[in-house]
Amino acid sequence: MQQLLNQLIQEGYFHGAPMELVYAGFMLLAAFVVLSFFVAPLAGITSWLERRVWARIQSRVGPNRVGPQGILQWLADGIKNLLKEDIIPTAADRRLFALAPYVVFAGFFATFVVIPFGSQLIVADLNIGILYLLAITSLVVVGILMAGWSSNNKWSLLGGMRSAAQIVSYEIPAGLSLLTIVFAAGTMSMQGIITAQGWAPWNWFLFYNPFTFVAFFLYFTAALAEGNRTPFDIPEAESELVAGYVTEYSGMRFLFFFFAEWGNLYVIGAIATTLFLGGWQIPPVTDHPILAGVLQFIVFFLKAYLWVFVAMWVRGTLPRVRVDQLMSLCWKYMVPLAFICLLGTAAWMVIWPQGNRLASFFMFLIGLGILGLFLKRVSFQIRHARPVLYLKPYI
Amino acid sequence: MSAVGEYVRDITETVTTVFEGMAVTFSHLVRRPMTIQYPDRIPKPVQETLPLRYRGILEVDMDICTGCLACERVCPISCITIGIETSKETKQRTFTHFDIDICKCMYCGLCAEACPTGSIRHSQEFEGACYNPAGLVRHFVTEPVPLYKPKKGGETDPTLAEKVETGLKYLDEFASPEKGGGAGTEEG
Amino acid sequence: MDETLRSEGEGLHTEDMTISMGPQHPSTHGVLRFVIKTDGEVMREAIPDVGYLHRSIEKIGEKVTWHGYVPYTDRADYLAAMFANQGFCMAAERLGGVEVTRRGEFCRVIACELNRIASHLIAVGTFAQDIGAVTPFIHALRERETVNDLMEEICGARLTYNYIRIGGVGYDITPQTCDRITQFLDHFEPIVDEFNRLLSYNKIFIERLAHVAPITKEDAFQYNIVGPNLRACGVKWDIRRDIPYSVYPELEFDIPVGTGEKGTLGDCYDRYIVRILEMQESCKIVRQCLKMLPKGPAIAKVARKFKPPAGEIYVRVEAPRGDMGFYVVSDGSEYPYRVRIRTGSFTAMSLIDKLSRGLMVADLIALIASLDVDAPEIDR
Repeated sequence: MQQLLNQLIQEGYFHGAPMELVYAGFMLLAAFVVLSFFVAPLAGITSWLERRVWARIQSRVGPNRVGPQGILQWLADGIKNLLKEDIIPTAADRRLFALAPYVVFAGFFATFVVIPFGSQLIVADLNIGILYLLAITSLVVVGILMAGWSSNNKWSLLGGMRSAAQIVSYEIPAGLSLLTIVFAAGTMSMQGIITAQGWAPWNWFLFYNPFTFVAFFLYFTAALAEGNRTPFDIPEAESELVAGYVTEYSGMRFLFFFFAEWGNLYVIGAIATTLFLGGWQIPPVTDHPILAGVLQFIVFFLKAYLWVFVAMWVRGTLPRVRVDQLMSLCWKYMVPLAFICLLGTAAWMVIWPQGNRLASFFMFLIGLGILGLFLKRVSFQIRHARPVLYLKPYI
Repeated sequence: MSAVGEYVRDITETVTTVFEGMAVTFSHLVRRPMTIQYPDRIPKPVQETLPLRYRGILEVDMDICTGCLACERVCPISCITIGIETSKETKQRTFTHFDIDICKCMYCGLCAEACPTGSIRHSQEFEGACYNPAGLVRHFVTEPVPLYKPKKGGETDPTLAEKVETGLKYLDEFASPEKGGGAGTEEG
Repeated sequence: MDETLRSEGEGLHTEDMTISMGPQHPSTHGVLRFVIKTDGEVMREAIPDVGYLHRSIEKIGEKVTWHGYVPYTDRADYLAAMFANQGFCMAAERLGGVEVTRRGEFCRVIACELNRIASHLIAVGTFAQDIGAVTPFIHALRERETVNDLMEEICGARLTYNYIRIGGVGYDITPQTCDRITQFLDHFEPIVDEFNRLLSYNKIFIERLAHVAPITKEDAFQYNIVGPNLRACGVKWDIRRDIPYSVYPELEFDIPVGTGEKGTLGDCYDRYIVRILEMQESCKIVRQCLKMLPKGPAIAKVARKFKPPAGEIYVRVEAPRGDMGFYVVSDGSEYPYRVRIRTGSFTAMSLIDKLSRGLMVADLIALIASLDVDAPEIDR
């Protein structure tokens, strides 16, 4: 993107205009395009898919009436929410109350700046990409606290306080596990990290050494907690706090919180893909730049979406932890483990500065083994307790 | 040392049980859902799949109602109101009204068991939504009709005979397939 | 905690927060209200406020006939209507000296135990829901639907059965229904195992429940905790075994008690696991009853105008929420003189205030769910 812009400037398309304005305008345009043609449908379809996946896990069907298999359900919901009355409680702090959803949304949306969808498809390849990510996602907590405080509702306040404690704590294991990759790759730039990996699974940082393997799961767990997802959804714990910080929200403002939440799922997957799963790397099958770009985008999208699916699936499985257990999980288990991973990777790099191919391949085999074990358990579950009895045998 | 062991055990237990739970939920992704997509996406209406004993909205077959008022008396919430009028000239007794308030009815089935001919019975119908509560009062008599008198030695009129048969069959099915069971013996 | 805060931060003013939890709160199981005082997340006290679902079922009993009151008892606890049916019918039978037919007794036990399964499924399902796991809740409800379908075949209703009548049962169980029930049990027992693998052995779930709000034996006796909640404290007390009624003495079944396997004796996890085990015991009982089901009429001859002689009686049945007592007074007329229903949920509510001190808000939810209180049964 930057290259394209620089090229355009060199060719004199913006002759005479101040460079800053051109850059700013270009950024705004990119943001608009990404928001309306990628993020909005993505978050919407994620919401639909989550409901479908959830429903199937629970032996239900899920939304299947609007559009083919209900895929347009998110549009219907969005329109409904747009048309709803936007209620602001009289006792609420009006300005903060109105602003909070947008702060949350901005915190999530700004991460798209550094997400590499392909070798050319990145808004800005910052050389401090990961630092930027960690910094900008912290904005979300400000928005949630604003929402919780300004609602002037005790449940909201409790939700906001929980959220603040949770997000601030979980930034540490998340940051530490990301640092292992920064060690291994030697760069903070997202594109640099991807190019340090290869297209083959055993060249991914996931299988770089046992420590990065653990760091991946640590990162994923911490990211779920940062994204307020089950089992760490205590800020909006429905059975405890009614709806947590969104209790008083309605209409479009309410939707923005969930827009951010579902979009954030994709961001989690995208970061995990970039750092651990080789990003957009594809096997060398084509030289055509556009075709390669499309392939890269597809590969990246699928890899990221796999983790979105896993997050949905985790949500359908696990109960919620308590607020003190959340803290002890973070400080007693995840932070020490993340430190061990960090030190282990550092030691590994001292011993094998170029990485150990054999160990990587071995780790890959272990990964396959875990997958195989999992499939075996699944088939056991199906054989063991098949609901054969359908008193009313039709769907 | 035991503290370390506990620490490690906590981690392994968490990982293994979460793994197991994930396997269970994943296995459900490939199983058939149980949902019945009422009311439109089903092969046949739900009413037809309900068992015969199902206690739906009450219906009355006025042609075989003897006007014994057993149902009115037995109803715990008095949702059945029956009016019978005796004409002065002919001594002919006729129904003036037979109303059942579906709003009040609690579908206990006591009236259907008390009926000697099986004329009041639960249908398989359960969809009673309407805009006005008054619409939920079912009027079974629109114009005065005479009471049914069971004839000794069986019914002769074929259409009536069929209805009597249906009523008795309903009583049988509703009560018990085996003799001696059910509401039939409750008459003390 | 409060004192340390005050002494450390001079001038730092902290205040307890009073929150009204309910009557419209997602996890109060109907319309219950708790006035809770919290210090942040930690509870100072939680005072239950009952009475939002009072329908004066006891007073109605004085206005309708003995036969006509049976459908009203369904509404006392709509998740386990069969037991209220049975309690009232047993009281009426003992007052009137009616002998229940043997087949009727077996039909009663089959229906009751199926109902117990359905009720416990709701209990463990909503428990999971309150802890935050949604899938087990829907799985439990899915199984409950099949029980409801069976009930529909047995007695024509899914929730308010009006099945057990004075002198026996309203409708006989047909052989086809017996087959269906066996089929269901064959299918259900592995599902309980699956449910355990999904939820009961989950580490997060155990951590949430173990050591939370343990009830000691002494407390349980003083506050008159009954049913599964009492058995979870390690007390082997079951009306079915200790004050036997119906044909329970002829049946073989265990009485699961809490062992404190994951935490302290009598904690939330014990109360949860006792219900799971009881469902399995109920399956066993139903299987035995289906085998032993004798031939004969399902209901004894009872006068349409049932008029028991004057007297009073107190009858107890083991309902899913504990000892359900019916105190019935007859003055020899067509109507009961007084009906009083004693339920397990009501006494369990009285203990919440004591147990809730020092718990967290999330634990209070677990506590309410683990006691399996049911708003209609509390208020009647």
